[in-house]
Amino acid sequence: MARSSDRPTRERRERRFALVLFLPAFLVLAIGTTVPLFYLLWASLWRIDLSMPWLSGFAGLENYAKMAADPRFWNSLGLTVIYTGSTVVFQVVIGLGLALLVLRIPRGQAALRIAAILPIVLAPVVVGMFWRTLVLPPDYGLLDLVTQALGLGSHNWLGDPQLALVSVITIHTWQWTPFSFLVILASLAALPPDVFEAARIDRANAWRRFIHITLPMIRPAIAIIVIMRMMVALSAFAAIFAATGGGPGTATEILNLYAYRTSFTDLNLGYGAALAVVLLAITLLVSFLMFRLRRAA
Amino acid sequence: MSRRALRALLLLAGASVLLAVWAFPILWGLLTSLKTERDVLAYPPKLIFEPTLANYREVLFGSASILPNLWSSLVVTGITTILTMLLAVPAAYALARLDLPGKRSGGFYVLATQMLPPVGLIIPYFLVLQRVGWLDTYQGMIAIYLTFSLPFAIWLMVSYLEDVPREMEEAALLDRAGRIRTLLYVILPQVRGGIAVTTIFVFLNAWNEFLFAVVLGGNRVRTVNVAMFNFISVEQTLWARLAAAAMIAMAPVIILGLLAQRHIVKGLTVGAVKGGGRR
Repeated sequence: MARSSDRPTRERRERRFALVLFLPAFLVLAIGTTVPLFYLLWASLWRIDLSMPWLSGFAGLENYAKMAADPRFWNSLGLTVIYTGSTVVFQVVIGLGLALLVLRIPRGQAALRIAAILPIVLAPVVVGMFWRTLVLPPDYGLLDLVTQALGLGSHNWLGDPQLALVSVITIHTWQWTPFSFLVILASLAALPPDVFEAARIDRANAWRRFIHITLPMIRPAIAIIVIMRMMVALSAFAAIFAATGGGPGTATEILNLYAYRTSFTDLNLGYGAALAVVLLAITLLVSFLMFRLRRAA
Repeated sequence: MSRRALRALLLLAGASVLLAVWAFPILWGLLTSLKTERDVLAYPPKLIFEPTLANYREVLFGSASILPNLWSSLVVTGITTILTMLLAVPAAYALARLDLPGKRSGGFYVLATQMLPPVGLIIPYFLVLQRVGWLDTYQGMIAIYLTFSLPFAIWLMVSYLEDVPREMEEAALLDRAGRIRTLLYVILPQVRGGIAVTTIFVFLNAWNEFLFAVVLGGNRVRTVNVAMFNFISVEQTLWARLAAAAMIAMAPVIILGLLAQRHIVKGLTVGAVKGGGRR
């Protein structure tokens, strides 16, 4: 009798203990992320222009109506799709190729792993500055030295609108491919070796071994990489900001850059908030779809 | 045999190119930081030159010293890291091990907050900090840094705490050790490595942050990343000096990254490799 009345209080005590441990972090997150989100939604309904404060006031859906007719917004949306899609595809394909290659190297894997860590730990803003000042400037930049030596001539890698977009995609791919490379390498190394032995005995060729055995087994890892990298690409900011600032003109101005420039260069915080709301909606939609897809797979 | 040798050679060549592509820009930066400004602009580039430490002397002790900025970065990053770990470890323990009411939605909530793009939050942060007068202050910056460090730290710690065998805490609880004592003296020693890795990750993320630092900081609290960025917009031509500043700013993260090299690979993959098997 004493026991049965003892148990519920013990359980209740554990629950209370769990709540006490969890609540501080939860409160910080609620106040630090969820409340600001609602504030952002609210702010997007106002005219808040710090350069013309006398115009401030409630605007309803005016900011959103303005956005629908704003070619610069549609341009930034298109660039976001191109930037996110291409960087994720490049990271996965190159990372997978490299991992398969490196797995066959008997020695020196450790050195490669160390080299791969370097870009990952660097601040994106520093990476952007590095490429801007050392790799990409015409004539004495690293890349121009290579293309000139190969007889391909000198190019204005960040000054030409199309090349600038290619450049910022390359910078992102350079910095983050090591991430997918390391994750894929680790999951390849964790596969049971006897599966490959069996296939080799069956004389399945390398390509078929890859398609029918390796790829299905590392698919969960690839799915995670795609999800994580899409989220990061959708919130990319500092590297582009440092390399091109969104320019030349609006050639590399993804939605993040446009929202930033509107808010903190033009000081039009109301319209910037509306742009940020769209960015958040896209991110939520993409993550929702990704998780649905992953569950279905 | 010769075909095999050729293949080995090709593999090695491929690997070397790879190594060069990732390591070279950084090594090039190191070389540049040791050159005089005139040598930097020489064409063809000088590989053999008289190295000088003048750039380092200038960025550390010259008129535009980055020492105050390094201090700002250290204060913001250090305090953020400590507070994050103090909040994240208990929360992760509750999520991983205890009968927390609403556990699933709690975990999902933490995950969801991690997905929010910083550009989406910077406007409310700016408006609120401006209203309470916390722009360009340490407390404002650290409060904001907590919000993006926490979710990540909680999830990483959950993955480490789930690996601790359940028998250990059951045994401790049977011994009538209290819950807090069990956590402190039985569980935490088991995840020392995980705590170290998580701490390093939180530190790296906060040290590398730029968007919040540039918008919410100012003359009093200016992190080293922001100071360097101002460097290129103001003194566009002093690239050797910028390279030296970048080398100094990068040094802590590179050292931490290399020290924790094995764990970083594990930390990056912990979610991916394990998450694949979890439903």
